[in-house]
Amino acid sequence: MNELRDFILVAKTILRRNFLVNYSNKWTTLANNLGNPILFLFAFGYGLGAIIDEMGDVPYIAFVVPGMIAYATMFTSSFEATIGAFSRFQFLRTWDAALATPVRLHQLLMAEIVWGALKGVFAGFCVLLVGAAVGGIVIFSKLWLLLPICLLASACFMACGLVATAYARWYDSFSYFFTFWVSPMFMFCGVFFSVDRFPEWLQWVSFFLPMTPFIGMIRPLTTGLPIDWSLMAIQGFYLVALTVFAFWVAHRKIKKRMFD
Amino acid sequence: MTQTIISAKGLQKTFGTFKAVRGLDFDIEAGTCVGLLGPNGAGKTTTMRMLMGLSGITGGELTVLGKTPEDLTRTEKSQIGLVPQMDNLDTDVSVTENLEIYGRFYDVSWEELAVRVPQLLDFMQLSDKAHARVNQLSGGMKRRLVIARALISNPDIVFLDEPTTGLDPQVRVLIWKQILSLKAQGKTLLLTTHYMDEAQRLCDRIIIIDEGQVLDDDTPKNLIKKHVSGHVVEVPKAELSTFKTYDADSEDIGNAVLLYVDKIEPYAAQIKNHPGTFYRPANLEDVFLRLTGRSLREGA
Ligand SMILES: Nc1ncnc2c1ncn2[C@@H]1O[C@H](COP(=O)(O)OP(=O)(O)OP(=O)(O)O)[C@@H](O)[C@H]1O
Ligand SMILES: [Mg+2]
Repeated sequence: MNELRDFILVAKTILRRNFLVNYSNKWTTLANNLGNPILFLFAFGYGLGAIIDEMGDVPYIAFVVPGMIAYATMFTSSFEATIGAFSRFQFLRTWDAALATPVRLHQLLMAEIVWGALKGVFAGFCVLLVGAAVGGIVIFSKLWLLLPICLLASACFMACGLVATAYARWYDSFSYFFTFWVSPMFMFCGVFFSVDRFPEWLQWVSFFLPMTPFIGMIRPLTTGLPIDWSLMAIQGFYLVALTVFAFWVAHRKIKKRMFD
Repeated sequence: MTQTIISAKGLQKTFGTFKAVRGLDFDIEAGTCVGLLGPNGAGKTTTMRMLMGLSGITGGELTVLGKTPEDLTRTEKSQIGLVPQMDNLDTDVSVTENLEIYGRFYDVSWEELAVRVPQLLDFMQLSDKAHARVNQLSGGMKRRLVIARALISNPDIVFLDEPTTGLDPQVRVLIWKQILSLKAQGKTLLLTTHYMDEAQRLCDRIIIIDEGQVLDDDTPKNLIKKHVSGHVVEVPKAELSTFKTYDADSEDIGNAVLLYVDKIEPYAAQIKNHPGTFYRPANLEDVFLRLTGRSLREGA
């Protein structure tokens, strides 16, 4: 019980701190979160959209909008867990400062995850607004389910990003993370086209990347395609398991780096 | 009644294969101000980080308030404040917000913070910078803010790792004054510094370490009595060839040699004949040089 109380205190403080910092750049954040999907939709609407009418039994625009919601969520939380968190860890050393208080490392990392997850959800929400405005949302009745799913996926991307942060020597180490983790999730997990167009081995790779179950879960919610609830439960469970595992690895390594 | 609140026995820290701290023994009593002195790389910061639970211990025993630092409860940990050697302020938020965020980590209530933050800013003479961003502060102001931050939970124990390094004399005097006032409030202080006058002025007891080991541990007065004789004669190298040292212990300081002498009388006449040579009472700086430097014998 005390542990929960302490965690809430730490999380509230860190959320407030990060919010203060981000609030001063609110226009930049908003411009990026809205501008990016607008540009993307413009390019794909006129580019790919002109040659592809339908994908996966829905109009292409309806297919691509949930993919882009997922992408914005994934990219934002991955960025926050790496460049953002690494700055506080190694550059500003604010983690060191926090740990000199009664804050414990696992509380600090969990609070970072909560923060990054909320930020990821916000980015996804901005795409949802743009997507709805251009008619990319077919049904609205199940949109509320997007919130818990995006939160979970975003927490998962945060935990995975923290693993990279735990092992990163300096900022340039993250080029591996972006090339071999973020980019494949952008290209091979069904953001722009169905995964089944790829050779089988690549489908296996994408099957295990958390972006695939994430998109698999949210695409039926906006397109109105039939929902397989048991599949969704399995996908959700996979994301939970990956989050827990990645958190464990990240915590272990960061602890080693800081305390040994 | 003095009560030991910090105790290290055979404390060790190894980084990879490098032994940074190799068996430190010391106790710190409540309400005292103890200086931890030693040359660069002696292991002072490493020791303080272990005391804070920021760095694990490799060997030996370390207890703070009767427990291993990692096992301290939230309330116990709140009784300890740290001024780290390297400023790790949050440069993205304002001076006041830095103190508030830190205070919230300690669970200091907002009502309490509303009182304490202005008080601490006043204590460290930063009131007019309350709403400035941290990266608009000068180095000395940042240092003062770090000290204010360490006091936000009103701790009983404060560790200060080189609180005055790189500060101008005015600010050093201000910080000394405030450290003395913390001492008067009965707080337990552990201080590292490279300024011997500072250590002599502030500390009840001084632990001198080098290469991760304790060289001596005593009051400043006793250290001087024990390690350096009554006076120090400083002879410039140019005058050394004609100066009779009578095999006194000596220390090479570059352009001159220091002689540690019990009685000044045998040297008095020579000092008059050598215009560059002078003598003064021995001080803590001499103790430090003697203990940590490689002593230089006659003629070397
Ligand atoms: N994280 C680390 N990894 C490897 N070696 C370290 C680490 N931290 C400190 N050391 C080494 O341990 C030794 C003691 O360092 P420490 O910072 O404790 O010295 P110090 O007494 O505080 O010196 P200074 O007066 O320069 O601040 C040094 O040789 C340093 O190189
Ligand atoms: Mg140091």
